[in-house]
Amino acid sequence: MIDVLAQLDFDWSQWSVPFSSRWWQETTCSVLVGIACGVLGCFVVLRRMALIGDALSHAVLPGVVIAFMLTGNAGIGHLFLGALLAGLITAALIKLVSQYSRTKEDSAIGIVFTAFFALGIILISALPRGTHFDLKCFLFGDPLAVGPDDLLMMEIVAPLVIVTIFVLYHRLKITTFDPVVAAAMGISVSAMHYLIMGMLSATVVAGLKTTGVILVVAMVITPASAAYQLSNRLSSMLILSGVFGALAAAAGMSLAFVTNSPTGPAMVLAATMIFAMAMVLSPRDGVLFKILHRRRVRLHIDGEDCLKAVYRLLEAGEAALRGELASRTGLSYSRVAVSLRALRSQRLIETDGEVVRLTSPGHLRATNLVRAHRLWESYLAEEARADVGSIHDEAEYLEHAHELADEVDETLGFPERDPHGVVIPTIERSGGP
Amino acid sequence: MSQEVLNPSAELATEATTKAEPASASVTKSAAPPFAISVRGLSVSYGQLPVLRSVSFDIARGQLVGVVGPNGAGKSTLLKAMLGLLTPDRGVVCVLGEPVGQCRNRIAYVPQTEGVDWDFPITVRDVVVMGRYGRLGWFGRPNREDRQAAIEALELVAMSAFKDRHIRQLSGGQQKRVFLARALCQRAEVLLLDEPFAGVDAATEQAIFKLIERLVQEGKTLVVVNHDLSVLNRFDQVLLLNQRVVAFGATERVVTDENLRRTYGGRLTLLDRADAALRENRGRS
Repeated sequence: MIDVLAQLDFDWSQWSVPFSSRWWQETTCSVLVGIACGVLGCFVVLRRMALIGDALSHAVLPGVVIAFMLTGNAGIGHLFLGALLAGLITAALIKLVSQYSRTKEDSAIGIVFTAFFALGIILISALPRGTHFDLKCFLFGDPLAVGPDDLLMMEIVAPLVIVTIFVLYHRLKITTFDPVVAAAMGISVSAMHYLIMGMLSATVVAGLKTTGVILVVAMVITPASAAYQLSNRLSSMLILSGVFGALAAAAGMSLAFVTNSPTGPAMVLAATMIFAMAMVLSPRDGVLFKILHRRRVRLHIDGEDCLKAVYRLLEAGEAALRGELASRTGLSYSRVAVSLRALRSQRLIETDGEVVRLTSPGHLRATNLVRAHRLWESYLAEEARADVGSIHDEAEYLEHAHELADEVDETLGFPERDPHGVVIPTIERSGGP
Repeated sequence: MSQEVLNPSAELATEATTKAEPASASVTKSAAPPFAISVRGLSVSYGQLPVLRSVSFDIARGQLVGVVGPNGAGKSTLLKAMLGLLTPDRGVVCVLGEPVGQCRNRIAYVPQTEGVDWDFPITVRDVVVMGRYGRLGWFGRPNREDRQAAIEALELVAMSAFKDRHIRQLSGGQQKRVFLARALCQRAEVLLLDEPFAGVDAATEQAIFKLIERLVQEGKTLVVVNHDLSVLNRFDQVLLLNQRVVAFGATERVVTDENLRRTYGGRLTLLDRADAALRENRGRS
């Protein structure tokens, strides 16, 4: 195991070295890219344009190369304009191909972006030798190439993206949520589409140097998808996604620094970690929450079963002993113990060694349960015409819906005895339930 | 009457309606233009497939009009064309005497609920406020008045208790009512509803119908695309559509067995074949 790890070129000594000013520059740039990608990514995810996001990042390559060839300058401003233009042309071409041919949109995206990407690679390889233009840097990202220019541009682009989204928030929201109705109100849907495409191209080209063409789409989609799991409002999704993007960028840069690995992949893995955590911890449909919820329901039902068993034992004139409860409810001793502890803390029962007694609220609760059980049994026998022998198990389950007991009682015309001939307890309604 | 039943062309149908107008026009405003909606010779096709063929009709203000026809008859397409969401091959649509592009805020549209992402991070109230977005302009934000209008609209559809819920938590009928509230919030004069009763239980259908009738009493014009023939008698006028207007006019005159048979009795296949032949000729020349 150690041997395998030793093959990896991780430089642990870096842990002790203070982060250099150069690192700060690269990290600030990456964090800004993370924020802009995260915020824009929300619209990409909600509009189901994930594939377009990928396409744009690949398709900016020829734009960058042509801009470099025309100006002979690898300055970020020129490359930026080239990328922006290439991005918008890609978006327009995809629309054209899918509109004026039988090609489906996803296929059109695939056709257009691969063509652009291929063109970009051919152009790069045709550049004269010794030109300061590195294909590998564009494909996989190279933080060492991040200079003060890049940082400056991100310091302009990121706030611009955020301000634009803030100002046009409501237009973006309605055209994303319901484009047909937006169009019917006279709101230009395609203007918003191209605005998002344009901002995405700008952000992607800025992110090229940190993550590279191939992985930059992860910075767009992954933080936004994590935020999507956790938010019920678009505004909170935007903020959360921006925070996730920034976190992923900062964590990725630190990870890359200490492990001496490339920054792009480290940032993407950090973003994926955040996404996985959101998936597990989401209050809406997270795995953890579901387990907790199931556990809470089970505890609730166990507690009610124990309470009822105590009531029945006392009703029969016997003493309610812990051991007896376990055999009556069919629960294990430990589950009975947990339930009794919970019931005691709710002041529904009192325990004295092995003996369990009901308090007066506990008595009321138990009466309610037994009443619900017997009413449901009557209901099943009379209304659902179920066999009297089989109704007990179903009523065991239905009794936990004791809120409905009054309605059942009324429907049945207030019966006095259940199908087994046992008295259905009544509850005096003087002060509350 | 017999002319109405037998007329094969949309133009004749229009004449018949225009004649019937004085009897059915209950709301007439002095300065108001004569028709709420006026459609002339509207033809729409998807690619080379014709969906609507020279559809013409006029709807007076304050009318409740039901649009009925089989699947693929072009009902939803007609609504979208009336809203200017589709470019027609031929024909003109005027709403409140103006081309649709000029009076979008006075028309509200309630689409079918299928195409919407019900997991979108948005609450019920935010969906309803969207009804006001048409007036906001590029940089506008909804103000207190807009939010108040949204709450009132939600009260009208008995959904105000759900205002802070996420839309994911709504049932099918509740989704329809929220979309209806969004249109109400727009305070439009003309409302176009696409199958508001699809997949809705009987109680909700009654509630929606009550609301629709109340809107008509307020002098609004409503066009409702509908699948269910059993409720046709609640409409003032009915438009039987199967690519073309089979019949249009007051409900009791239009809804006859003969007309329904002609609406649901299959396409006019000769016309489809003529289209195919014309396409081939064009291809050759």
